[in-house]
Amino acid sequence: MTMSRLGPQPTEVLDRSTKLRFRWNGKRFDGFEGDTIASALAAAGEHVFSRSMKYHRPRGILTADYWDPNLMVQVGDDPNVRAGNRLLEAGMDVRAQNVWPSLHRDIKAANSLFGRFLTAGFYYKTFMRPAWLWPTYERVLATFAPGGKIDLDTPHRYHDKRYTHPDVVVAGAGPAGIEAALAAAAAGARVLLVEHEHAVGGHLRYSSSDSDQAVLAELRAALDASEVEVLTNSTVTGRYEDNWLGIVQRNHPIAVERLIKARAKVLVAAPGLIERPYVFSGNDRPGVITSGAARRLINLWGVKPGERAVVFTANSEGDAAAADLDRVGVEIAAIIDGREGKRVSSAQGSSRALGAVVAGGNRIEADLLVVAAGWTAPTSLLNMAGDRPVHDPATARFFPSDPPGNVLATGGLAGDGTLDELRAHGAATGRLAAQRAAAVAHRLQAMTARARPVDGDEPAWAPDERTPLGRDPHPELYRSDTHGMVDFSEDVGSKDLVAAAHEGYDSVELAKRYTTSTMGPSQGKLETVNTVAAIAEARGETIAQVGTTVWRPPYAPLTLGALAGRVFEPVRVSSIHPWHEANGVSTIIAGQWMRPDHYGDPAAEVRNVRTNVGLIDVTPLGKLDLRGPDIPKLLNLLYTNKWSKLPVGKVRYGMMCAEDGVVLDDGVTGRLGEDHYLMTTTSSGAGGVWEWVENWLQTERPDWKVHVTPVTTAYVSINVAGPKARELVGRVTEGVDLSPDAFPYMEVRLATVAGVDGCFMWRIGFTGELSFEIHAPSGHGLHVWEALMDAGQDLGVGPFGLEGQRIMRLEKGHFIVGQDTDGLTLGPSTGLSPLIKLDKDDFAGMPELAWAADRSLPMIVAIQPDDPNVVPDEASQIVRGNTNEILGRITSARMSPTLGRSICLGQVEPELAAGGTKVTVLLTSGERVSATVMDHHAHFDPAGERLRG
Amino acid sequence: MLLVPCPNCGPRNSADLRYGGESHARPDPATATPQQWRGYLYLRDNPAGWLRETWYCRSGCRRWFTLERNTATNEFRTPPMPGDKRGGKA
Amino acid sequence: MAESPAFESPVVRSYESSSGGPLMLTDASATTKWLVRAETGGAAADRMDAPFGSSRTAGGGAFVMGSRPGEWIVTGPADAVAEVVAGLDGVDSSEFVTALDWTHGRALFLVTGTDAPRMLEKVCSLDWSDAMTPNGAVASASVAKVTCDIARYDGDSAPTYMIFCDRSFGQYLFDALIDAGDEFGLAVGLPNG
Repeated sequence: MTMSRLGPQPTEVLDRSTKLRFRWNGKRFDGFEGDTIASALAAAGEHVFSRSMKYHRPRGILTADYWDPNLMVQVGDDPNVRAGNRLLEAGMDVRAQNVWPSLHRDIKAANSLFGRFLTAGFYYKTFMRPAWLWPTYERVLATFAPGGKIDLDTPHRYHDKRYTHPDVVVAGAGPAGIEAALAAAAAGARVLLVEHEHAVGGHLRYSSSDSDQAVLAELRAALDASEVEVLTNSTVTGRYEDNWLGIVQRNHPIAVERLIKARAKVLVAAPGLIERPYVFSGNDRPGVITSGAARRLINLWGVKPGERAVVFTANSEGDAAAADLDRVGVEIAAIIDGREGKRVSSAQGSSRALGAVVAGGNRIEADLLVVAAGWTAPTSLLNMAGDRPVHDPATARFFPSDPPGNVLATGGLAGDGTLDELRAHGAATGRLAAQRAAAVAHRLQAMTARARPVDGDEPAWAPDERTPLGRDPHPELYRSDTHGMVDFSEDVGSKDLVAAAHEGYDSVELAKRYTTSTMGPSQGKLETVNTVAAIAEARGETIAQVGTTVWRPPYAPLTLGALAGRVFEPVRVSSIHPWHEANGVSTIIAGQWMRPDHYGDPAAEVRNVRTNVGLIDVTPLGKLDLRGPDIPKLLNLLYTNKWSKLPVGKVRYGMMCAEDGVVLDDGVTGRLGEDHYLMTTTSSGAGGVWEWVENWLQTERPDWKVHVTPVTTAYVSINVAGPKARELVGRVTEGVDLSPDAFPYMEVRLATVAGVDGCFMWRIGFTGELSFEIHAPSGHGLHVWEALMDAGQDLGVGPFGLEGQRIMRLEKGHFIVGQDTDGLTLGPSTGLSPLIKLDKDDFAGMPELAWAADRSLPMIVAIQPDDPNVVPDEASQIVRGNTNEILGRITSARMSPTLGRSICLGQVEPELAAGGTKVTVLLTSGERVSATVMDHHAHFDPAGERLRG
Repeated sequence: MLLVPCPNCGPRNSADLRYGGESHARPDPATATPQQWRGYLYLRDNPAGWLRETWYCRSGCRRWFTLERNTATNEFRTPPMPGDKRGGKA
Repeated sequence: MAESPAFESPVVRSYESSSGGPLMLTDASATTKWLVRAETGGAAADRMDAPFGSSRTAGGGAFVMGSRPGEWIVTGPADAVAEVVAGLDGVDSSEFVTALDWTHGRALFLVTGTDAPRMLEKVCSLDWSDAMTPNGAVASASVAKVTCDIARYDGDSAPTYMIFCDRSFGQYLFDALIDAGDEFGLAVGLPNG
């Protein structure tokens, strides 16, 4: 069989004045602007395009469109390109996939010799023993896996997303779809028309009838003159709840692929019909094509599909294909009419080309077999909307049964008719869609707080009074009297399906998964009905009785790039960040925050803080502004301790538990004024605590007069720590007496710092050193930081980061919620039982904490390995002697520069919690080391003298 | 993606809200038995049908509210709530 | 009162800026912003006169946004904002009303141009049509994965959107908006506010 280029055809989409040179498997070829990769190759006489997945059988054009399973090629570094759809471009380097050493001399075709070992489900039965050979089996099987090659160095290109809210989305721009779009727009709806192919028109595009072409021109002109937004080479690929649609746009000017997420008020499904292959011996041989393929090749791309053809036709499209073939000079050797009960039995020839067709006992020589055996209704979008379409044997296809009112079918999906009837149905559907969309729009607008107020009442839900389309009878043609290929992508034949049914996999869901039929790149478009028919035959039932598998999104594939779109990874920084970056910071990303981890030498930073003075930027510290007379009630509710009598200017530590008694968060809260407090939380807990507080106030205590506002980023937070902290802070602060008697530990003052009003500072001590935590309005944060650094030069001021802070807090034994506590750590396990005031009225988690008070619980303790140089990995288990019985774990561990030895916090079973107890730590290396539980959590300065100075 | 009818903002994508689960009253902490309290913490009716549940409009009005949803069909309705303090258009 | 140093915007990168163009993005983070909270339906709420989802202009160029039930953002020139906030004094004293200076805690960006809705469609799932988000509309939504308060206030010009976000996200969001607007020829305006 040789395909070849014809002279110019009246309906062709080619620009013959523009030649495009490209390569196919290394050889130079030419095509025209407007060709697809496949049409250009076909015109040049190529007839083998790929090798099938399992048996590596040579494959040629089958449908010559997007769904053609035999036309997956590699273009440059782009794998799995559909050559039946991708437009040719100059310079393309196109290659066949999964063949070795070449498409024509593919050694893997030897698989066909082992065919009987490669039947469906072979991998459940072979390559199982011995188990130690699995890595080898994997490597071997991987080389046979289908698909193209991925280049890990491919440059990242621009992918994109977009949201849109059209009134009506029409999926499919055949004549019915276009009429629906036009009618909906004329009725005032905002319409988005999405067409899978490169141009609108559906089957009219490749019809050689003059009247069809006139209608096509009329429809295109009307569309251009309208306000309809048209997307070509794009597909509605998923329909989710409330008509949330995923649309993949493949032709965006700047994005390789764009995913559009549309909330459509009404969806019109007008996808047309997909031509179904016929199952018979040799049906996958190059030279066997569908009637649509023949008409597209001739009328769109001016390609003569062969020299001498047999046409197997059971409908008018098949007849039209025969007429087109005849018109362009293809010799018609025979017409086999499926409506008269005749059929083809086999396609024979060499391994790569068709030589003859056997039908009705006769052998007819031909290099082309055109098959028009029937249509499959792509009901996917309706299935995704919850409809279970029903099989109609008289028309040999599925029809919608009862989709929801906001999903309307038109065109071939809804029935048959003349072109005028299809157009009229489309138009009526468009009007109905617009009416229903108006009702939805009215309701959305009325319910939405920010929207314009609505005019009048909500329009009534328009009843569906469309005249239904007729149904043209069609013979049921699924399989001939021989067996053949059903799923071309997966190399699953009708014989495999029958065997699966006999092996017990006779439900369609099981058979699908066992044979993998419909699971390949085709995703059921061409093979679902034939698969169901084969199972039905094996079970002696009808297609309706067997049912189909569920069609799930995506209907058309989309790249991972389109799914990812722009990479939105929010990053949070404090105002001081530019200073950190300019001063050698090593940044850590904690939550979404970029935080200074250290500036080169965390141990040196620790020493400097304990000797001189250091600054740390702790802006992410959660800060909640509390206002109102009922704040003490709120604090009593949230914290386990008592808050009714906190004087103005004082700060208190509090621990919060959840309703199950588990430690939720902790922090200090200070009273800035009569009805004004500031609560702090852990940095990672900031968002969660605010929502926790809002939940209590809104749902359980709505009558309390408290307003809680997050001000975490309204202030930068700078902790100035070290023996010289008071000296340094004094140099930049106005309006506050910083002396120890005037400003004791755990108190708060309002101040002007570095000339900035509205600051407040408190004396607290996470690091265990004398420290002042300054909170300054963040619009002056960098200024305040720089003022402190300048003023403290002669004092040896230096920055310190999170790592240094973690070391120091560990030296002081301060636990961190979420690090030293986990999702099961109850309040008393922290050792803070004195802060759990069970005589309060009510607070979060109180009942559980009351019931826990009498139990022995695991405890947080300080631990020191006996070998001072051993620093266990955090989460190392504490075990009983030489056994693997787990008695606890190390939760925090560091080498302490201050003490010159390793220090830890951990959780242990109550029997080990007493000071002096020896425990065994199982290091991640497997070694077991001995360690001692300490008397206090603090490894250093347990009395806290440095803090309180 | 489900459209959730926030009583303040209007219908919003479910991704704009946080699901709070089945709604149920908090027992009186002074008198609740451990069984009652843990029922409140952990046990759910999980019906196939109408369910009273809470939602938090986290990307929008930041209000907690209660809706009734049919877990089989995802229809929503607003339960009558005495003293319901919702914002909305004046 | 001590002389305050200059306001540091969260947008620290410098960009080539332009004084005008069909689609403009401007950093207005230094603009005064106050957060007012009071009961819905009370006397203070009446005084604010901006029900949830809507907005109004007040004297001196102040702009009052009904950003949540019982919450209002007041923004604009410092004096005009102060006047609106001061107007709440003496309203029914049994009502619980608070006002908090949020100038430092929020970044503010202005996007203006006929293509502004199409640009925002790329980063935010709200319906930007005139019916659903008319001039004066106020809403809260995720923009490039950051929760923002948004107000549409066209004034005399093309559609204009004010986007408020938590200050710490400011640099990230500004860059995400530039990326989204690039396709439409977005230009960065000189900072104001």
